[in-house]
Parts: sequence; C-alpha cells; structure tokens
Amino acid sequence: MGTRAILTPVRALPGKASRQPPGPEPVSRAASADDQRRRILEATADLVAEQGYGEATIEQIVRRARVGYATFYKHYADKQEAFLALLDAAVERTAYVVEEAYDREDGPWPDKVGAGLGALLEQVAAHPNVARACLVEAPTAGPEAAARHEAALKRFAPLLRPGRELNPRSDKLPDSLEDTLTGGVLWVINQRLIAGEEAKLRALLPESLEFLLRPYVGEDEAAREAGGRQSASA
Amino acid sequence: MADEELGPLPAGRHGFSREQVAHNQRERLIAGLATAVAERGYQAVTITHITKEAKVSRRVFYENFDGKEECFLAAFEVVVGHIRELAAEAVEPIPDWPHRAIAASAAVLAFLASEPALARLCLVESQSAGPAIAARFHDAVHEVVPFLEQGRAERDGERELPPTTEESTIGALVMLASRKVAAGETEQLEDLVPDFTEFILAPYLGAEQSARLSRSAAQ
Repeated sequence: MGTRAILTPVRALPGKASRQPPGPEPVSRAASADDQRRRILEATADLVAEQGYGEATIEQIVRRARVGYATFYKHYADKQEAFLALLDAAVERTAYVVEEAYDREDGPWPDKVGAGLGALLEQVAAHPNVARACLVEAPTAGPEAAARHEAALKRFAPLLRPGRELNPRSDKLPDSLEDTLTGGVLWVINQRLIAGEEAKLRALLPESLEFLLRPYVGEDEAAREAGGRQSASA
Repeated sequence: MADEELGPLPAGRHGFSREQVAHNQRERLIAGLATAVAERGYQAVTITHITKEAKVSRRVFYENFDGKEECFLAAFEVVVGHIRELAAEAVEPIPDWPHRAIAASAAVLAFLASEPALARLCLVESQSAGPAIAARFHDAVHEVVPFLEQGRAERDGERELPPTTEESTIGALVMLASRKVAAGETEQLEDLVPDFTEFILAPYLGAEQSARLSRSAAQ
C-alpha cells in the first residue's frame, strides 16, 4: 500500500504529543489506537488519491481500513478531520525529512538545496498516494485544507532564502521569488503525479535543482551543480 | 467555440453581466454559473442556484448540460478563450519575442486583476471542480509552453536548457497567481507584471537584461 512508512514515524515527531490519549494507558491499547489511526489515514490517502476528496466516503474508508464505524468516529469527527490529520502528518514528516537532509549536508548552500530537493522527490516517489492526496487534492478539499496546503508550501522558503546572499543583485530579487520557485517545482511534481508517472519523479532532481538555483547563482553554476547531481544519480 | 457566441466579456467586478453578454438560454446558464460560483464557490453551488441566476427552468438546464460540471467546463472554456484572445491581440503588433512575452503577461494579468470573479473561477475553483476540469485546467496552462519555448532562440551559446524549464516557469507563475487569488489579493496581480516578466525572460536573456526590460516596460 505504500503509505505505512510515511505515517508510522510521525507519532515520534515534535508537536504530535497532543495526539496521544491523555494519561497513562496500557501500552497495548495505545498501540492499537495508533494502529487504527494509521490504518484509517492510510485508507483515506489511498481513496482520496484514487477518486478525489469529494468522492471518497467514510463507508469506503472504514471498509478499506478494516475498522468499524465506531472506531472511525472515536478518532475523527468526519471525513474532513481524517483528511486534515493525514495532511498534518504527511506535511510534518516531509518537512522533517527535507530539513534534515538539508541540515545534514555540510557543503555550500547549493549542495544543501540539492540534498533537500533529493529528499523531497524521494519522499514523493516512495509515497505517491499520500503525495497525490496532499499535493493534488488538498487545495480543493475545503478552506481549512487549502490553508494548510498553503502553509506547507511556505515552509520551503527559508531553505531557499540564504541563496540571496550569493547573488550580487540580491536587493533587486522580488520578495515572491522563493514562493514562485517552490510553486514551479511542485507544479512539475503534480503533473507527474496526475499523469501517474511517479517513476519519473526521482529523475527530476537535476532539472528542478537547476531551476531552483539559477536565480541565485546564475545559470553556469546552477548547471554545474545540476550536472553533478545527474552523474551522481546515473 | 462558445466564446465566439458570447463575444467579448464585459468590464466590471461581478463576472458576466447577463444583459450585455447573453441572449440565449445556454449563455444565460453559463453566466448564471459564473455568478453563483463567485458567490458560493463551486462545491456549494447547486443547479437551482444556477437556474435562478439564469432565470431559466431546470428542464432548460438539462437540455443544455448533463450537470453542474459540464456547465462549469463551458464557463471555463469561455474565460480561457477570452484570455487566449487577449494575449494574441497583445502580441500581434510586436516583432520581438521578449516584448511579446511582456505584453502578453501584462494583458493577462490586467484582465485577471479587473475580473476577480472570473480569475477565481479560472484559477481557484477550476481546481476543486473535479478531475475532468482539473485536467482541462492543466492543459490550458500548458498551452503557454510552446510560446515560452520560442525564448530559446534568444539564448547565446551552445548549452540547451533542461526540457522542463518552461513547464516549471509557467507552473510557478500560475501557482503564484492562484495563491494570490485564493488569498483575496487578486487586485495585486497587476503589480506583479514586472516580477512575472523578469521570471519568464531570465532563462533566455539572463538576469540583468530581463530585469532591465521588465522594469522599463512597466514605466
């Protein structure tokens, strides 16, 4: 099913503690509640990816997740709440993975961007249904989901902004540059997801990296950096 | 083409004006959908809202459209057709590609900024109106790619740009515009013309010349 790995580690992430049931609880019960939630979110991702947010029903979700209605409603008030929980978990996990790859790279800033972008493409390629649900469907799944999708996109801007220091004309770069570049990369990812071409996602790394770096370091250096990624991934 | 039947879109902030635009029932239904979607959002709109706006019966609606989605698609095609015409008119008298790109961007953004309801229908609601319309939206955006690719002829040197350059560029700008519209900042789109054109030109002309051309065109 492919969604398991993206959802399981989320419980350990900062900010997720409030999702745990309050007070001490027997380990087995807590674990089984986690397992139920994970199965529900997994099923939600698959169904939303397959048929769109509007078409997915709670009936289909409980059947796919192999839980009862009572279990679903114990965790989530409705389809929207389950979808928002999926969105939050996937965004936290993806941001964590991307930021960690960026931070772990000790090289200069273009290398850090390459590491972060590589981690993003890897994450999307490994979990295409979660990505489809969160990137393609979220903007259209009501105002709350759209607002969270918008907030998620903004998380990438701080990773790009240090590139301004490498540009001699940095005071002339538009304020919207980081949002614009993020949008361009995500647009191309969306196109591949919509077309069912997730196998092509990882190969986007050199081209998308050149697209991200060019406004900061110029074409020659961006192309050199991208070329390095190409031979590394070949 | 439906846009030929409808003629030019009227000015004003409330989408289609029935009196100016529509005479027959199909056109009235398309205009009614645009008004209803502007007021309520696509998801919340019902056939009753549309027929009430259009002042036609349900039976007439179903004589023209299978349902809400087909009616929306017709409205979307009208707006996209109009934008296509505006861009074509803007570039027609201009010989060189960089200034054609600037003129087309300015014309399209000015139209969207002056028609927030239609901008919303086109850029925001189209993405929540089901997979068929979302696919049509992506096709419409990709119509711009061959025009952008003409910029490759302006480049010096041997090196080829990556194949996804134009797809990334137009995707970046459409997403930026959609986010502005979704945030209720549609009027600001016109102020973004220099940023948009600089972004479009930069891969072909380099950063400095793109900035210079975009700023001087804005004055």
